[in-house]
Amino acid sequence: MVIYTYGVIDSKDRIDETIFGLEGAGVYNVSYRDIGVAVSELREKIQEISDANVLKHEEVIETLMTKFTALPIKFPTIFNTKEDLLSMVEFYYQDFKDNLAGLRNKVEFGMKVIWPQDTIKQRIINACNKSNHSLSISTDSKAKSFLKEKFKQQQIEKEFQEEANRCIAVVDDYFNKIATEKRLKKLQTDNLLLNAAYLVEKDKQDDFKKAFEQLKSTPGDLKFLFSGPWPCYNFITLTKKPSSVDYFNTEDMLNRLLAQQGFAQERNAV
Amino acid sequence: MTMNRIIETNSQEAFIQEMEKVQDALPSRIDANPKNVEKGLAKLVLTLVELIRKLLEKQAMRRIEGGSLSEEEIEQMGETLLKLENKMQELKEIFGLKDEELNLNLGPLGDLM
Repeated sequence: MVIYTYGVIDSKDRIDETIFGLEGAGVYNVSYRDIGVAVSELREKIQEISDANVLKHEEVIETLMTKFTALPIKFPTIFNTKEDLLSMVEFYYQDFKDNLAGLRNKVEFGMKVIWPQDTIKQRIINACNKSNHSLSISTDSKAKSFLKEKFKQQQIEKEFQEEANRCIAVVDDYFNKIATEKRLKKLQTDNLLLNAAYLVEKDKQDDFKKAFEQLKSTPGDLKFLFSGPWPCYNFITLTKKPSSVDYFNTEDMLNRLLAQQGFAQERNAV
Repeated sequence: MTMNRIIETNSQEAFIQEMEKVQDALPSRIDANPKNVEKGLAKLVLTLVELIRKLLEKQAMRRIEGGSLSEEEIEQMGETLLKLENKMQELKEIFGLKDEELNLNLGPLGDLM
């Protein structure tokens, strides 16, 4: 038998509601002091990282979130014994308490933005070609021509980054005042201008959704992917040095969920 | 699902493509196993060399712009950077690495480059 974990919750009590987890196993609470970890007992390690299993993991966390504050644990995290699990909780106890307090009554929203990078880059190149700002060296050798070209490329890249910052600031301005915290990732690819996660009070969810409605109604050629509410995948911060296992790095899972569950919903809607 | 979720996009395919690119470009671990240990190590080493090369280039541009280098020094610097770039290109081809693969995810600090 192994212990499969879903999330850390702010309760040491028994979970009243019947929740079925992976492989149909019941979900129960393993408590440590005043908090607990929602787990299932499975016969063996999860062999198959299937979409169905990922979705079940997510579903259990969401069910837990209706009654508790929950810190989602990365899929698929298992412990061989209850003692192993409890020693992990003991190690991170204060971090868990702080995160549970910080994330109480909050949810996460995701906002990804694609911009027309080809058009923007071309505009910058044209502007650079017109301007006189270049290295004032001769081009009488291959080496000097190379430097001159490099300088031009650097100027283009610099301007591209600055344009990205300006554009992100415009998008972020719609959400910044409503969210309590944010994680912004800029230009993970040249096209993906922004990959943002916002932490939002549960009672401000509607305001947040309205902000997106406003943003998407503004003219422009940005592409948006707005999603939420999600469990707070991106806002768990551990001050204690993590062990070799990263229990809370759940970003991959969120992308996977979005791709599998989210886009499937979208397709069904169409 | 219990959370009454909204997922809305005006370009589903574009986002699927970009998310796949992000996942492919930034594996969470160096992929080292007996079959490709050389490539895994080369990726790590070349990423660091590429970082240093880019820093050198930026520093060189600053110095040239600042006017503190003689014509001869500019020539030497250009030649060095040109050779360095060509050598990097060669090494990337040998190990089958693309430019976008030469990066490291530094967790909360973001990407190295």
